[in-house]
Amino acid sequence: MNTTHYTNYDSINEAVVGFNDYCRTSSELGIGINHSKEALIAASQGFINDRQSFRYGLRSLYCTCQEEYPVFDKLFDIYWRKKKHTYSPTTRKKGSSNITKKSKGSVVMMGFGDTEKDEDQKEDARNVTGANRMESLKYTDFSKVSSIDNDLLDELVEKLLRQMNQRLKRRLSTSRDGRIDLRRTIRKNLSHGDDFVNLVKKNRRLEKYRLNILLDVSGSMDKYSFYLLKFIWSLKSNFRQIEAFIFSTKLVRITDHVDQAEVSMAMIQMSQHADNWSSGTKIGECLLDFNERYGKRVLNGKSITIILSDGLDTGDPEVLSTEVQKIKLRTNKLVWLNPLKGMKGYQPLAKGMKTALPLVDTFSSAHNLDSLLELENILSHV
Amino acid sequence: MIPEVTRLIERFDQLGYVVEEELATVLLLMLKLEKPLLLEGPPGVGKTEAAHIIANHLDTKLIRLQCYEGLDINSAVYEWNYQKQLLSIKINEEAQLTSEEKEAHIFSEDFLLKRPLLQAITATEKAPVLLIDEIDRADEEFEAFLLELLSAFQMSIPEMGTIKATHKPIVVLTSNRTRELSDALKRRCLYHWVEYPDFQKELNIIQKHLPELDQQLTSDLVRFVQYLRDLKLDKSPGIAESIDWANGLAALGARSLSEEYVKATLGCVLKSDNDIEYVKSQQLEEVLTNVE
Repeated sequence: MNTTHYTNYDSINEAVVGFNDYCRTSSELGIGINHSKEALIAASQGFINDRQSFRYGLRSLYCTCQEEYPVFDKLFDIYWRKKKHTYSPTTRKKGSSNITKKSKGSVVMMGFGDTEKDEDQKEDARNVTGANRMESLKYTDFSKVSSIDNDLLDELVEKLLRQMNQRLKRRLSTSRDGRIDLRRTIRKNLSHGDDFVNLVKKNRRLEKYRLNILLDVSGSMDKYSFYLLKFIWSLKSNFRQIEAFIFSTKLVRITDHVDQAEVSMAMIQMSQHADNWSSGTKIGECLLDFNERYGKRVLNGKSITIILSDGLDTGDPEVLSTEVQKIKLRTNKLVWLNPLKGMKGYQPLAKGMKTALPLVDTFSSAHNLDSLLELENILSHV
Repeated sequence: MIPEVTRLIERFDQLGYVVEEELATVLLLMLKLEKPLLLEGPPGVGKTEAAHIIANHLDTKLIRLQCYEGLDINSAVYEWNYQKQLLSIKINEEAQLTSEEKEAHIFSEDFLLKRPLLQAITATEKAPVLLIDEIDRADEEFEAFLLELLSAFQMSIPEMGTIKATHKPIVVLTSNRTRELSDALKRRCLYHWVEYPDFQKELNIIQKHLPELDQQLTSDLVRFVQYLRDLKLDKSPGIAESIDWANGLAALGARSLSEEYVKATLGCVLKSDNDIEYVKSQQLEEVLTNVE
């Protein structure tokens, strides 16, 4: 049965439930049985008598953020359209047929599955073998890690990133030293009458930071972006809150994709959403976009922002400088990781890098695992 | 528009509020479903006002909880009155009471300081409107705590047991979106995004607030504020700022929106140094003629 239109159902109630069903299967609005129940109440309360009122009512029920409004409106328009069309468009579910074709291309670009290149890389990686394979992996430049070592690297990454930093919170909890907690003290000493024998104290407790990561995936970063992305993914499982973005000429938020349990699946999903892998770089414009769209939400007093980029910029350095300044004002610590810094004799002479450098709190390399692990030190000294 | 919404808008109008159709529809649905409402939007667009509107409309008490980082149960729900407890312990020192009796005594309602959330739950007369303002500023732990309250409308005080709401309060939450709220919390609420008002709505609002202000000046002012919002400033002015500005101009006895007045009173409407500099650097004269 074609369930994309209300006329396919016999009664109003069924149609409303059908709409609920339609929204659930055709979109990613998190819709459950409760919604269906409440939509029915709304309909029976007379909201269904007017199209606009019904739309407003259901929209407040089904959406959980402003960004979902257009999605909902589209579904609503299709389902409750006045006249039935012979051709009914269906909103495509994510994860359906067109993935394979598109993802293949971009995944290759990420230096992942490109067999010919692999051969050379294997050679290079062998050349740096030391006494301990794990140890040597730590210092191998990402651009030279073979795909065989990939699994080992994963293991290592996960092991090493498990513990990350914490921060002091304003909230108080029981602790050895600090202010006296009157409430607990009174409770504990009731049996002693008015003599307080044991004092209970409270102090600030540690809390994890929020981490914002901006990863450059332009052509010049090609060799590194795959590993850096992996790095972001492993951070995700260790940090409570993380926001991840990739950029080249456009900025794309990938936080939701980083959430996946399986790293390669997440990669494929991410690559689909980023049609800008391996293109040029406009760091300034992308950061401007970041500040405008996400700045207020993700940059607040308890955040660390990491920009992973080689600083090879084709945009206006003026824009870059003001935008980096803006980020700096709103975050606790701004870290710029540059894979090129790992090269011998590297000087931050690139136009973009030069303008941004004075504004950055920490400028560090990111060409191998060891340098990424340095990050822990950086993060714990905020 | 269904007749009930029309009636509601009229009622709000009588009470002195300008409410557009969508918000009125959502407010109506909130009352029908008895579900909390989450209002999100930029600062100064009247999110808090919505709670006042509802409280006024239902002629009930508004209980407000302003959230901030570090907000904890003690300042949101309840606190024991320690000084009183200490005195009571001292007074009863000589009395032949067992420690259980003493405990029961000092942990009774007399020693309880009710904070907004507990007040809302124990309100006796009528269901109050509970406004939880700027929930995005509180931390996640507090959000998690709110979930319990919003789904069951009861809370437990270890010393006294569980307290159930006598009347289910009408809950309005607002957020400026400085952080993303948890899905669990959002799922329990109706959601409405409050946008900056359009020209006509803002004009109505300012006329409602300052009926004596010159008509031409009011509409110029609103057009100018609308122009400012298009400029992508660091802090776009909200309705609150427009009203402030109108008040400022009224206090100065302005008759028309001249460049001089704009420059002198720009601080009413723009709150960031950068923005003021930027707007002043624009060709104000040109802008003003365009605006008019």
